[in-house]
Amino acid sequence: MTILNEAGTPDTVSPLYCIGHLGEALPHALFVVVGTRAEAFAARTLLSTFGPDCARTAYVVLDPEPPERGALAAEVGRAARRYRECELCILVVGRTARLLGIDLSGEAGLIERRLHLAVHALELPSGGFTTSLEDSALAALLRRAPADAPGREEGPPKERGGFLSGLLGRRPEDSRTPGLRPVVLAGRASPDCRRRLAGELEQAGLEVAGFIPSPPPEEMPPVGPETVVAPLQPYLTETLRAAQERGAGVVHTLAPVGVDGTARFIRDVARAAGREINELARAREALAEVEGLRNRLRGLRVFLTGDTGLEIPLARTLAGAGAVILEVGTPRIARPALVPELQTLGVEIDIVEAPEWTRQIERVEESRPDLVIAGPGLYAPLTARGHLCRLSLDFLSGDIYGYAGARRLLELFITPLDRASKLDALEL
Amino acid sequence: MRVLRGVYEGPGSHGILRVAASMRGVRAVFRALPSEWHFPALLGGYARSGTAAPVTLSPVIPPFESSRAPGDFAGDLSAAVRRHAPDAVLVARSDTALISGEEPPEMSFPPDRRTGRSPKLIRSDWESPEVGEVEAANLALLELVQAFANRPRSRTKEPSVNLFGAPVLEPLAAAELAEMERLLGLIGVEINAVVPLGAGAEDLARLPRAWASVVLHREFGEAASLYLQDEFKIPRVAAPILGAVGTGAALRSIGELCSLDASDVNRVIWGELANTARLPWYARITPPEVLEGRRVAVFGDLTYALGLGYTCARELGMEVIWSGTYLLHMERDFMWRAEAFTDEAFATDDPDEVAARAESSRPDLLIGTALEAPVADSLGIPFLELCPPRSHHPLSPAPLMGYAGTGAIADALDAALRRHRSEPPPAGDNLPWNEDALEELRRIPPFLRGRARRLAEEHARRAGASAVTREILQESRTRGR
Repeated sequence: MTILNEAGTPDTVSPLYCIGHLGEALPHALFVVVGTRAEAFAARTLLSTFGPDCARTAYVVLDPEPPERGALAAEVGRAARRYRECELCILVVGRTARLLGIDLSGEAGLIERRLHLAVHALELPSGGFTTSLEDSALAALLRRAPADAPGREEGPPKERGGFLSGLLGRRPEDSRTPGLRPVVLAGRASPDCRRRLAGELEQAGLEVAGFIPSPPPEEMPPVGPETVVAPLQPYLTETLRAAQERGAGVVHTLAPVGVDGTARFIRDVARAAGREINELARAREALAEVEGLRNRLRGLRVFLTGDTGLEIPLARTLAGAGAVILEVGTPRIARPALVPELQTLGVEIDIVEAPEWTRQIERVEESRPDLVIAGPGLYAPLTARGHLCRLSLDFLSGDIYGYAGARRLLELFITPLDRASKLDALEL
Repeated sequence: MRVLRGVYEGPGSHGILRVAASMRGVRAVFRALPSEWHFPALLGGYARSGTAAPVTLSPVIPPFESSRAPGDFAGDLSAAVRRHAPDAVLVARSDTALISGEEPPEMSFPPDRRTGRSPKLIRSDWESPEVGEVEAANLALLELVQAFANRPRSRTKEPSVNLFGAPVLEPLAAAELAEMERLLGLIGVEINAVVPLGAGAEDLARLPRAWASVVLHREFGEAASLYLQDEFKIPRVAAPILGAVGTGAALRSIGELCSLDASDVNRVIWGELANTARLPWYARITPPEVLEGRRVAVFGDLTYALGLGYTCARELGMEVIWSGTYLLHMERDFMWRAEAFTDEAFATDDPDEVAARAESSRPDLLIGTALEAPVADSLGIPFLELCPPRSHHPLSPAPLMGYAGTGAIADALDAALRRHRSEPPPAGDNLPWNEDALEELRRIPPFLRGRARRLAEEHARRAGASAVTREILQESRTRGR
């Protein structure tokens, strides 16, 4: 494997894009973007792709003069009072606000005291993945999760039974296996996907204490030394750091993307939770179910331009199905979270870190791949040049995790091929 | 510091990038954080072409630790010139770069091997966070024109004009230009240069040869066309070319400036009025009570807000109850012109102020931007999204300008008013509201207030209440979710 750092400008979009996804996951949160007109414009433009009601958003546009202390808190208070059932306020503060002298933590504290509202203040990441803000937000949420109570076995038995049992309304007596640590899954996934993935883990005998993010803050699972935190996405490096700061066990493994990734994920999570399991039979069964789809990827030449942080698990899944990976671009290699992914990727695959997007156009033209997983800036130009593309942001919709998500993932690769062959058959 | 529901225009850097991406042979170097980088994604969705955005990012801080990473401003400018060999490099700085006080470097570039000319560096040193997208585009275009159209040239033999349109990301830009080219062809006027869409350095150098400049969008072409007027005595036509009256006036002015026979121009106008223009026909065939005296409110940029205001008032007999613009730097100009068709003209860049005006005046028709759509929806009034910024980039855009544009305006009006006529009127009169309920209502964002008011009154009637109380309002909102 060759890892080349091209030191270029990757085809990412502003991390503000993720407010749309976070808004879907946290419907009662108010997102306040603090900065100049530039941040407000970027957020509004990027969020327009999600539809009008994707997130409760307000924009605080600062004047060039440094604001008085407490001014931001007053404005956010006015914005928050407009919404009913506003349980959480996520302040996203751009670099301009910093330069204009906003005291982020001071203002967040004031808002919290005045509005009796949980406030998370996030600095807008200056670069990295399109998903970087999601990582910051999840890390902030995790830091506010309740601590797992020491010596809880000594108290009255708590109602427990795992995430799935909770959803189904079953609350059996404490059925936890002694020595088995509950699992908290960190990362965004659709509600269906969460339910299925929790079911797959509980089928392996694990207790899923909950997810971060968790829509109602009161359902936030406890995180502490007795907990194992497992990330769904490999770009959640700050979230894992926050979990480690809480003393939780952190699982560095493959993302639960594709059958092989899911099997390894469940096995390693189980191991961290205190249980040795063998996922081989389930993995074989799941593989058999998607065999037809996997066969269609065999020999397919794929180019991944790289922007979201999911590109390496995607490349691993494609390579595992027999596709030929021409290039995997990635804005950065998030070590150590990506080490297991890199080890599994295969020696013949080349990774370009911080790829220069304009050079990627040339490389795509030279290599003529069958499919390009393209970032939003390259998607239209490459499609216009006749390349078959799938937008990288489509993989962020949150349906691709676990054994059940493996089919959806493979379909995301294959549907552009099917549609193209139908269109090519038309006599125009 | 203000809390806004949205912004009508982007930062100045966005305007500069739009101008650069409109032209051939112009490269923008965008000094910004990587997190401020989304222009290629926006342009890709709009342009639907195989050409990547002609923009190079020069990170304010290198994105990753690497000695080879870009981040040195001067080095990035040189690299952009080496790699892309442009005729001009346009510098755009993000708000982060501007607030951090960084100045663009003074430098020159070596001559290009093919052309023997050095690329021109346009530093945009007038940029500041107070200069918005539209004003910046106007100034960037001026600087490009000054850089290349800097010596007198002989006038073209046949009458010709320069066409100043809108830059990329304005969905109707190309369609508006095509309609104007068609009309100019009919009156026998050639196009000397079209700016900025598709223009290159040679087009800019040719600008002083034209007999006149036709400015379709004053907000973008104002400064450059005035420069040509002052420097080379090229007169201009700058009134909005919207509606049959506006289009006819523009064609007559162009005819005069190009020394055409007035009767020839009139023949073309009459032919177009008979065959193409649909608005005069619509105004005559529609029952008078549908249009006459109907209260319309218009909010938008400069060109469309003024042009549509004139059209509604003069050609349709509607009452323009208010008209506003978000282009604060053109406020005086807008107010002066809007007074011709409304008693209430204003400028604001706060969408909630516009929403509050709509809520208090309840027009029969609201013409505005994408940010007014939820207001009209909430109030249940007909709405036309005819002013930028628009939410929709049609695959096959139809012009609003010229005679062909009058058909699009008539169709849009007819659809909006017909749809509204077919809806049942609200049941009964408005119920009284007590003070607590009004206080609660005021807490709801203006753009949602109309819907909240309607739901509360419906809920109160169903409950047999004689007035709307705070509890009724809260209950209706809970049910309306």
